[in-house]
Amino acid sequence: MQLRLSLPTIALIMAANAQAEDYVTFQYMQYQENDNRVSVSAPSLMINKDFGTDYTLNASFVLDAVSGASPTYYDAGSGASAYSRGKNISADRITYDNISFSEQRAAGSVIFTSRFANRDELILGGDFSKEHDFTSVSGSAEYMHWITPAKNQSLSLGLSFQSNEITARCVDRVNCDASSGASEKMSATAINTQLSFLQNINRSSYLKASLFYLIDDGYLTDPYLNVVRNNDGNTADVVGEKRPDKRQAYGAVLHYANALNDAFTLQLDYRYYLDDWEINSHTIDSDLYYDLSPQWQFKLGLRGYIQSAASFYNGGANFFTDERYASSDYRLSDFNAVTYKSDIRYAFNRDFSMNLGLNYYDQSTGLKATYLMTGFRYNF
Amino acid sequence: MKQLIPLSLITLVLLSGCVQEVKPWEKETLAKETMEPAGGNTLARKFQEHIYFSKEASKGGGGVAGGGCGCN
Repeated sequence: MQLRLSLPTIALIMAANAQAEDYVTFQYMQYQENDNRVSVSAPSLMINKDFGTDYTLNASFVLDAVSGASPTYYDAGSGASAYSRGKNISADRITYDNISFSEQRAAGSVIFTSRFANRDELILGGDFSKEHDFTSVSGSAEYMHWITPAKNQSLSLGLSFQSNEITARCVDRVNCDASSGASEKMSATAINTQLSFLQNINRSSYLKASLFYLIDDGYLTDPYLNVVRNNDGNTADVVGEKRPDKRQAYGAVLHYANALNDAFTLQLDYRYYLDDWEINSHTIDSDLYYDLSPQWQFKLGLRGYIQSAASFYNGGANFFTDERYASSDYRLSDFNAVTYKSDIRYAFNRDFSMNLGLNYYDQSTGLKATYLMTGFRYNF
Repeated sequence: MKQLIPLSLITLVLLSGCVQEVKPWEKETLAKETMEPAGGNTLARKFQEHIYFSKEASKGGGGVAGGGCGCN
Protein backbone atom coordinates (compact mmCIF):
# COMPACT_ATOMS: atom_id res chain seq x y z
CA MET A 1 0.00 0.00 0.00
CA GLN A 2 1.39 3.39 -0.97
CA LEU A 3 0.92 6.35 1.31
CA ARG A 4 1.27 9.88 0.04
CA LEU A 5 2.72 12.03 2.77
CA SER A 6 3.16 15.79 2.81
CA LEU A 7 6.55 17.26 3.66
CA PRO A 8 5.42 18.40 7.13
CA THR A 9 4.09 14.91 7.82
CA ILE A 10 7.37 13.33 6.76
CA ALA A 11 9.22 15.78 8.99
CA LEU A 12 6.89 14.91 11.84
CA ILE A 13 7.55 11.19 11.45
CA MET A 14 11.30 11.55 11.03
CA ALA A 15 11.43 13.78 14.10
CA ALA A 16 10.94 10.67 16.16
CA ASN A 17 14.10 8.93 14.87
CA ALA A 18 11.97 6.03 13.70
CA GLN A 19 10.79 4.39 10.53
CA ALA A 20 7.08 3.83 10.04
CA GLU A 21 6.64 0.54 8.22
CA ASP A 22 4.27 -2.36 8.07
CA TYR A 23 6.16 -5.62 8.08
CA VAL A 24 6.14 -9.27 8.94
CA THR A 25 9.37 -10.93 10.00
CA PHE A 26 10.26 -14.54 10.72
CA GLN A 27 13.36 -15.69 12.57
CA TYR A 28 14.58 -19.18 13.35
CA MET A 29 17.22 -19.76 16.00
CA GLN A 30 19.23 -22.92 16.54
CA TYR A 31 21.22 -22.87 19.79
CA GLN A 32 23.70 -25.55 20.83
CA GLU A 33 25.89 -25.76 23.92
CA ASN A 34 29.10 -27.75 24.19
CA ASP A 35 29.28 -31.17 25.90
CA ASN A 36 25.78 -32.01 24.60
CA ARG A 37 24.22 -29.65 27.09
CA VAL A 38 21.23 -27.49 26.16
CA SER A 39 19.95 -27.45 22.58
CA VAL A 40 17.19 -25.07 21.51
CA SER A 41 15.20 -24.76 18.30
CA ALA A 42 13.09 -21.62 18.25
CA PRO A 43 10.98 -20.31 15.36
CA SER A 44 9.39 -16.90 15.91
CA LEU A 45 7.12 -14.55 14.03
CA MET A 46 6.48 -10.81 14.38
CA ILE A 47 3.96 -8.54 12.70
CA ASN A 48 4.14 -4.75 12.86
CA LYS A 49 1.21 -2.71 11.56
CA ASP A 50 0.77 1.06 11.54
CA PHE A 51 -2.71 2.57 11.65
CA GLY A 52 -2.13 6.00 10.18
CA THR A 53 0.69 7.89 11.85
CA ASP A 54 -0.78 7.74 15.36
CA TYR A 55 -1.07 4.06 16.20
CA THR A 56 1.16 1.00 15.82
CA LEU A 57 0.38 -2.57 16.73
CA ASN A 58 3.21 -5.07 17.15
CA ALA A 59 2.60 -8.73 17.88
CA SER A 60 5.12 -11.56 18.17
CA PHE A 61 5.06 -15.25 18.94
CA VAL A 62 7.84 -17.76 19.65
CA LEU A 63 8.01 -21.52 20.19
CA ASP A 64 11.06 -22.94 22.01
CA ALA A 65 11.86 -26.64 21.91
CA VAL A 66 14.55 -27.16 24.55
CA SER A 67 16.39 -30.40 25.21
CA GLY A 68 19.66 -31.44 26.76
CA ALA A 69 21.09 -31.28 30.23
CA SER A 70 22.01 -28.90 33.04
CA PRO A 71 24.64 -29.67 35.69
CA THR A 72 23.80 -30.17 39.38
CA TYR A 73 24.65 -32.43 42.33
CA TYR A 74 22.68 -35.64 42.79
CA ASP A 75 22.82 -39.02 44.50
CA ALA A 76 24.25 -41.28 41.80
CA GLY A 77 23.13 -44.29 43.78
CA SER A 78 19.49 -43.53 43.09
CA GLY A 79 19.79 -42.53 39.44
CA ALA A 80 20.73 -39.50 37.34
CA SER A 81 17.88 -37.21 38.22
CA ALA A 82 17.57 -33.72 39.71
CA TYR A 83 15.32 -35.39 42.29
CA SER A 84 17.91 -37.95 43.31
CA ARG A 85 18.17 -36.34 46.72
CA GLY A 86 18.60 -37.80 50.14
CA LYS A 87 20.00 -37.35 53.63
CA ASN A 88 22.89 -39.20 55.20
CA ILE A 89 23.88 -40.79 51.93
CA SER A 90 27.38 -42.01 51.26
CA ALA A 91 29.60 -39.10 50.19
CA ASP A 92 31.13 -41.31 47.52
CA ARG A 93 27.80 -41.47 45.71
CA ILE A 94 27.47 -37.70 45.28
CA THR A 95 28.03 -36.69 41.70
CA TYR A 96 28.07 -33.33 39.91
CA ASP A 97 26.98 -33.95 36.35
CA ASN A 98 24.45 -33.07 33.68
CA ILE A 99 20.80 -33.92 34.32
CA SER A 100 18.71 -34.48 31.20
CA PHE A 101 15.54 -32.54 30.58
CA SER A 102 13.34 -31.41 27.71
CA GLU A 103 10.59 -28.87 27.52
CA GLN A 104 8.66 -26.64 25.19
CA ARG A 105 7.86 -23.00 25.67
CA ALA A 106 5.27 -20.92 23.87
CA ALA A 107 5.41 -17.17 24.36
CA GLY A 108 3.53 -14.26 22.86
CA SER A 109 3.77 -10.51 23.09
CA VAL A 110 1.56 -7.61 22.00
CA ILE A 111 2.67 -3.97 22.05
CA PHE A 112 0.36 -1.10 21.19
CA THR A 113 1.82 2.36 20.61
CA SER A 114 -0.34 5.48 20.62
CA ARG A 115 1.02 8.89 19.57
CA PHE A 116 -0.49 12.16 20.66
CA ALA A 117 -0.68 15.50 18.87
CA ASN A 118 2.68 16.55 20.30
CA ARG A 119 4.05 13.13 19.21
CA ASP A 120 4.51 11.92 22.78
CA GLU A 121 3.98 8.16 22.92
CA LEU A 122 2.10 5.84 25.22
CA ILE A 123 3.26 2.23 24.80
CA LEU A 124 1.16 -0.54 26.32
CA GLY A 125 2.36 -4.16 26.30
CA GLY A 126 1.22 -7.61 27.32
CA ASP A 127 3.23 -10.85 27.43
CA PHE A 128 2.41 -14.47 27.99
CA SER A 129 4.80 -17.41 28.39
CA LYS A 130 3.94 -21.04 29.10
CA GLU A 131 6.06 -24.10 29.86
CA HIS A 132 4.91 -27.32 31.49
CA ASP A 133 6.22 -26.15 34.86
CA PHE A 134 6.18 -22.39 34.45
CA THR A 135 3.59 -19.80 33.44
CA SER A 136 4.23 -16.10 33.17
CA VAL A 137 1.83 -13.22 32.47
CA SER A 138 2.94 -9.62 32.38
CA GLY A 139 1.75 -6.15 31.47
CA SER A 140 3.72 -2.98 30.84
CA ALA A 141 3.17 0.71 30.24
CA GLU A 142 5.66 3.31 29.06
CA TYR A 143 5.27 7.00 28.39
CA MET A 144 7.74 8.86 26.16
CA HIS A 145 7.75 12.67 26.27
CA TRP A 146 9.60 14.93 23.84
CA ILE A 147 11.24 17.58 25.97
CA THR A 148 11.84 20.17 23.25
CA PRO A 149 9.76 21.14 20.17
CA ALA A 150 12.64 20.09 17.89
CA LYS A 151 12.30 16.58 19.35
CA ASN A 152 15.97 16.04 19.98
CA GLN A 153 15.54 15.13 23.64
CA SER A 154 13.07 12.72 25.15
CA LEU A 155 12.31 11.30 28.55
CA SER A 156 10.68 7.89 28.99
CA LEU A 157 9.26 6.26 32.08
CA GLY A 158 8.21 2.62 31.98
CA LEU A 159 6.73 0.17 34.45
CA SER A 160 5.93 -3.52 34.10
CA PHE A 161 4.43 -6.12 36.39
CA GLN A 162 4.95 -9.84 35.87
CA SER A 163 3.19 -12.71 37.63
CA ASN A 164 4.84 -16.14 37.50
CA GLU A 165 3.59 -19.56 38.58
CA ILE A 166 6.20 -22.26 39.10
CA THR A 167 5.58 -25.97 39.70
CA ALA A 168 7.99 -27.08 42.42
CA ARG A 169 8.01 -30.87 42.38
CA CYS A 170 7.11 -32.69 45.59
CA VAL A 171 10.19 -34.64 46.74
CA ASP A 172 10.85 -36.01 50.23
CA ARG A 173 7.88 -34.10 51.64
CA VAL A 174 9.34 -30.81 50.37
CA ASN A 175 7.24 -28.59 48.08
CA CYS A 176 4.22 -30.82 48.61
CA ASP A 177 0.61 -29.71 48.88
CA ALA A 178 -0.50 -30.42 52.48
CA SER A 179 -3.80 -32.02 51.55
CA SER A 180 -3.24 -33.77 48.23
CA GLY A 181 0.51 -34.43 48.42
CA ALA A 182 0.84 -33.19 44.86
CA SER A 183 3.62 -30.93 43.62
CA GLU A 184 3.07 -27.44 44.92
CA LYS A 185 2.32 -24.42 42.78
CA MET A 186 4.62 -21.60 43.82
CA SER A 187 4.33 -17.99 42.74
CA ALA A 188 6.61 -15.02 42.16
CA THR A 189 6.19 -11.50 40.90
CA ALA A 190 8.59 -9.17 39.14
CA ILE A 191 8.37 -5.39 38.91
CA ASN A 192 10.54 -3.53 36.43
CA THR A 193 10.85 0.24 36.21
CA GLN A 194 13.03 2.18 33.82
CA LEU A 195 13.69 5.87 33.29
CA SER A 196 15.43 6.83 30.04
CA PHE A 197 16.79 10.03 28.57
CA LEU A 198 17.58 10.29 24.85
CA GLN A 199 19.69 13.04 23.33
CA ASN A 200 20.33 13.48 19.61
CA ILE A 201 23.92 14.65 19.56
CA ASN A 202 23.95 15.62 15.89
CA ARG A 203 22.36 14.44 12.63
CA SER A 204 24.24 11.12 12.77
CA SER A 205 24.51 10.13 16.43
CA TYR A 206 22.50 9.90 19.61
CA LEU A 207 22.94 8.83 23.20
CA LYS A 208 20.38 7.15 25.41
CA ALA A 209 20.92 6.84 29.15
CA SER A 210 18.69 4.72 31.38
CA LEU A 211 18.30 3.91 35.04
CA PHE A 212 16.39 0.78 36.04
CA TYR A 213 15.08 -0.76 39.24
CA LEU A 214 13.82 -4.33 39.60
CA ILE A 215 12.07 -6.21 42.39
CA ASP A 216 11.64 -9.99 42.27
CA ASP A 217 9.41 -11.33 45.02
CA GLY A 218 8.26 -14.87 45.81
CA TYR A 219 9.66 -18.28 44.87
CA LEU A 220 13.01 -17.50 43.22
CA THR A 221 14.61 -20.90 43.85
CA ASP A 222 15.34 -23.20 40.90
CA PRO A 223 13.33 -26.36 41.68
CA TYR A 224 15.71 -28.52 39.60
CA LEU A 225 19.00 -27.63 41.29
CA ASN A 226 20.55 -29.29 44.33
CA VAL A 227 23.26 -28.51 46.87
CA VAL A 228 25.31 -30.71 49.16
CA ARG A 229 25.09 -30.01 52.91
CA ASN A 230 26.76 -31.48 55.99
CA ASN A 231 29.43 -33.39 54.08
CA ASP A 232 31.77 -34.87 56.71
CA GLY A 233 33.61 -37.04 54.22
CA ASN A 234 31.56 -40.13 54.99
CA THR A 235 27.95 -39.03 54.62
CA ALA A 236 26.21 -35.93 53.31
CA ASP A 237 22.81 -34.51 52.44
CA VAL A 238 21.81 -33.77 48.85
CA VAL A 239 18.90 -31.35 49.03
CA GLY A 240 17.24 -28.75 46.82
CA GLU A 241 18.89 -25.36 46.65
CA LYS A 242 17.31 -22.43 48.51
CA ARG A 243 17.41 -18.78 47.46
CA PRO A 244 16.05 -15.65 49.19
CA ASP A 245 12.42 -14.85 48.46
CA LYS A 246 13.22 -11.34 47.35
CA ARG A 247 15.73 -9.65 45.11
CA GLN A 248 16.10 -5.94 44.53
CA ALA A 249 18.34 -4.77 41.73
CA TYR A 250 19.19 -1.52 40.07
CA GLY A 251 21.52 -0.34 37.38
CA ALA A 252 22.31 2.05 34.57
CA VAL A 253 22.59 1.65 30.80
CA LEU A 254 24.24 3.85 28.21
CA HIS A 255 23.44 3.30 24.53
CA TYR A 256 25.33 5.22 21.86
CA ALA A 257 24.80 4.98 18.09
CA ASN A 258 26.86 6.77 15.48
CA ALA A 259 26.58 6.60 11.69
CA LEU A 260 30.27 7.08 11.00
CA ASN A 261 29.59 7.63 7.28
CA ASP A 262 27.15 6.36 4.65
CA ALA A 263 28.47 2.80 4.99
CA PHE A 264 29.46 2.25 8.61
CA THR A 265 27.35 2.52 11.77
CA LEU A 266 28.70 1.85 15.24
CA GLN A 267 26.59 0.98 18.29
CA LEU A 268 28.01 0.84 21.81
CA ASP A 269 26.29 -0.21 25.04
CA TYR A 270 27.39 -0.26 28.63
CA ARG A 271 25.35 -1.65 31.54
CA TYR A 272 26.08 -1.64 35.23
CA TYR A 273 24.00 -3.95 37.44
CA LEU A 274 23.86 -4.38 41.22
CA ASP A 275 21.51 -6.36 43.46
CA ASP A 276 21.06 -7.26 47.13
CA TRP A 277 22.25 -10.82 46.50
CA GLU A 278 25.65 -9.08 46.18
CA ILE A 279 25.82 -9.73 42.46
CA ASN A 280 27.18 -6.87 40.43
CA SER A 281 28.07 -6.95 36.77
CA HIS A 282 29.47 -4.91 33.93
CA THR A 283 28.44 -5.45 30.30
CA ILE A 284 30.02 -3.82 27.27
CA ASP A 285 28.44 -4.49 23.90
CA SER A 286 29.45 -3.25 20.46
CA ASP A 287 28.09 -3.75 16.95
CA LEU A 288 29.55 -2.45 13.72
CA TYR A 289 27.29 -2.40 10.65
CA TYR A 290 28.64 -2.14 7.11
CA ASP A 291 26.30 -1.35 4.22
CA LEU A 292 28.31 -2.62 1.29
CA SER A 293 25.52 -1.86 -1.19
CA PRO A 294 21.73 -1.43 -1.12
CA GLN A 295 21.59 -5.23 -1.18
CA TRP A 296 24.33 -6.39 1.17
CA GLN A 297 24.76 -5.52 4.82
CA PHE A 298 27.29 -7.05 7.23
CA LYS A 299 27.53 -6.86 10.99
CA LEU A 300 30.29 -7.80 13.40
CA GLY A 301 29.77 -7.56 17.14
CA LEU A 302 31.61 -8.21 20.37
CA ARG A 303 30.15 -8.34 23.88
CA GLY A 304 32.02 -8.65 27.15
CA TYR A 305 30.41 -9.49 30.50
CA ILE A 306 31.71 -9.93 34.03
CA GLN A 307 29.78 -10.63 37.24
CA SER A 308 30.52 -11.29 40.90
CA ALA A 309 29.04 -14.22 42.84
CA ALA A 310 25.86 -14.22 44.89
CA SER A 311 26.49 -14.16 48.65
CA PHE A 312 24.91 -17.62 49.08
CA TYR A 313 26.73 -19.31 46.18
CA ASN A 314 29.35 -21.99 46.52
CA GLY A 315 30.14 -24.61 43.91
CA GLY A 316 31.79 -27.10 46.28
CA ALA A 317 30.44 -30.36 47.67
CA ASN A 318 31.71 -29.82 51.20
CA PHE A 319 30.92 -26.19 51.96
CA PHE A 320 27.30 -25.81 53.06
CA THR A 321 26.05 -26.90 56.49
CA ASP A 322 22.93 -25.22 57.91
CA GLU A 323 22.97 -21.92 56.03
CA ARG A 324 19.54 -20.44 55.39
CA TYR A 325 20.29 -19.92 51.71
CA ALA A 326 22.49 -22.09 49.52
CA SER A 327 23.00 -22.53 45.78
CA SER A 328 25.58 -24.22 43.58
CA ASP A 329 24.09 -22.83 40.37
CA TYR A 330 27.08 -21.82 38.24
CA ARG A 331 25.04 -18.88 36.93
CA LEU A 332 25.33 -17.30 40.37
CA SER A 333 29.12 -17.71 40.50
CA ASP A 334 31.71 -15.12 39.58
CA PHE A 335 32.58 -15.46 35.91
CA ASN A 336 33.11 -13.56 32.71
CA ALA A 337 31.80 -14.18 29.22
CA VAL A 338 32.50 -13.06 25.67
CA THR A 339 30.09 -13.16 22.73
CA TYR A 340 31.34 -12.97 19.15
CA LYS A 341 28.57 -11.91 16.78
CA SER A 342 28.22 -11.81 13.00
CA ASP A 343 25.33 -11.28 10.63
CA ILE A 344 24.75 -10.93 6.89
CA ARG A 345 21.63 -9.42 5.37
CA TYR A 346 20.68 -9.48 1.71
CA ALA A 347 17.84 -7.31 0.39
CA PHE A 348 16.27 -8.77 -2.75
CA ASN A 349 14.37 -5.52 -3.21
CA ARG A 350 13.10 -2.67 -1.07
CA ASP A 351 10.53 -4.87 0.65
CA PHE A 352 12.07 -8.30 1.06
CA SER A 353 15.30 -9.23 2.80
CA MET A 354 16.88 -12.29 4.37
CA ASN A 355 19.47 -12.55 7.12
CA LEU A 356 21.86 -15.14 8.48
CA GLY A 357 23.71 -14.67 11.75
CA LEU A 358 26.28 -16.81 13.54
CA ASN A 359 27.23 -16.20 17.17
CA TYR A 360 29.58 -17.80 19.67
CA TYR A 361 29.24 -17.45 23.45
CA ASP A 362 32.19 -18.34 25.67
CA GLN A 363 31.78 -18.31 29.46
CA SER A 364 34.68 -18.80 31.87
CA THR A 365 32.67 -21.47 33.73
CA GLY A 366 33.31 -23.78 30.77
CA LEU A 367 29.99 -23.16 29.07
CA LYS A 368 30.30 -22.50 25.36
CA ALA A 369 27.44 -22.07 22.93
CA THR A 370 27.04 -21.56 19.21
CA TYR A 371 23.82 -20.18 17.87
CA LEU A 372 22.58 -19.42 14.41
CA MET A 373 19.78 -17.05 13.55
CA THR A 374 18.20 -16.83 10.12
CA GLY A 375 14.98 -15.49 8.67
CA PHE A 376 13.34 -12.91 6.48
CA ARG A 377 11.53 -9.61 6.64
CA TYR A 378 8.77 -8.53 4.29
CA ASN A 379 7.44 -4.97 4.20
CA PHE A 380 3.82 -4.76 3.09
CA MET B 1 32.49 4.80 42.52
CA LYS B 2 31.82 2.45 39.64
CA GLN B 3 28.18 3.54 39.61
CA LEU B 4 29.29 7.03 38.74
CA ILE B 5 30.96 6.05 35.47
CA PRO B 6 27.78 6.20 33.32
CA LEU B 7 26.69 9.49 34.84
CA SER B 8 30.12 10.92 34.32
CA LEU B 9 30.09 9.90 30.66
CA ILE B 10 26.67 11.50 30.14
CA THR B 11 27.84 14.67 31.78
CA LEU B 12 30.96 14.68 29.65
CA VAL B 13 28.95 14.41 26.43
CA LEU B 14 26.40 17.01 27.42
CA LEU B 15 28.97 19.48 28.65
CA SER B 16 31.48 19.02 25.87
CA GLY B 17 29.51 21.28 23.55
CA CYS B 18 29.18 18.59 20.90
CA VAL B 19 25.38 18.53 20.99
CA GLN B 20 23.92 20.22 17.91
CA GLU B 21 20.35 21.18 17.12
CA VAL B 22 19.05 18.65 14.57
CA LYS B 23 16.16 19.84 12.37
CA PRO B 24 13.36 17.39 11.58
CA TRP B 25 14.41 17.19 7.91
CA GLU B 26 17.98 16.34 8.97
CA LYS B 27 17.00 13.12 10.73
CA GLU B 28 17.22 10.70 7.81
CA THR B 29 20.42 9.15 9.15
CA LEU B 30 19.08 8.94 12.70
CA ALA B 31 16.07 7.02 11.33
CA LYS B 32 18.22 4.34 9.62
CA GLU B 33 17.61 0.78 10.76
CA THR B 34 21.27 0.37 11.66
CA MET B 35 20.82 3.12 14.26
CA GLU B 36 18.21 1.04 16.08
CA PRO B 37 19.20 -1.60 18.65
CA ALA B 38 20.10 -4.88 16.86
CA GLY B 39 19.85 -3.03 13.55
CA GLY B 40 16.06 -3.12 13.72
CA ASN B 41 15.94 -6.92 14.00
CA THR B 42 13.77 -7.03 17.13
CA LEU B 43 13.34 -10.80 17.11
CA ALA B 44 17.10 -11.39 16.97
CA ARG B 45 17.48 -8.96 19.85
CA LYS B 46 14.87 -10.88 21.86
CA PHE B 47 16.75 -14.14 21.24
CA GLN B 48 20.01 -12.57 22.41
CA GLU B 49 18.44 -11.15 25.55
CA HIS B 50 16.75 -14.47 26.30
CA ILE B 51 20.09 -16.30 26.10
CA TYR B 52 21.82 -13.83 28.42
CA PHE B 53 18.87 -13.93 30.82
CA SER B 54 19.12 -17.74 30.88
CA LYS B 55 22.88 -17.98 31.39
CA GLU B 56 23.78 -14.95 33.48
CA ALA B 57 22.53 -13.61 36.82
CA SER B 58 21.99 -10.00 35.69
CA LYS B 59 18.99 -8.62 33.89
CA GLY B 60 17.27 -5.33 33.15
CA GLY B 61 18.04 -2.18 31.24
CA GLY B 62 16.50 -3.32 27.96
CA GLY B 63 13.09 -1.76 28.49
CA VAL B 64 10.08 -2.80 30.52
CA ALA B 65 8.19 -4.92 27.96
CA GLY B 66 8.83 -8.67 27.89
CA GLY B 67 7.84 -11.97 29.49
CA GLY B 68 9.54 -14.37 31.85
CA CYS B 69 10.81 -17.91 31.55
CA GLY B 70 11.69 -20.81 33.82
CA CYS B 71 15.04 -21.12 32.09
CA ASN B 72 17.22 -24.13 32.93
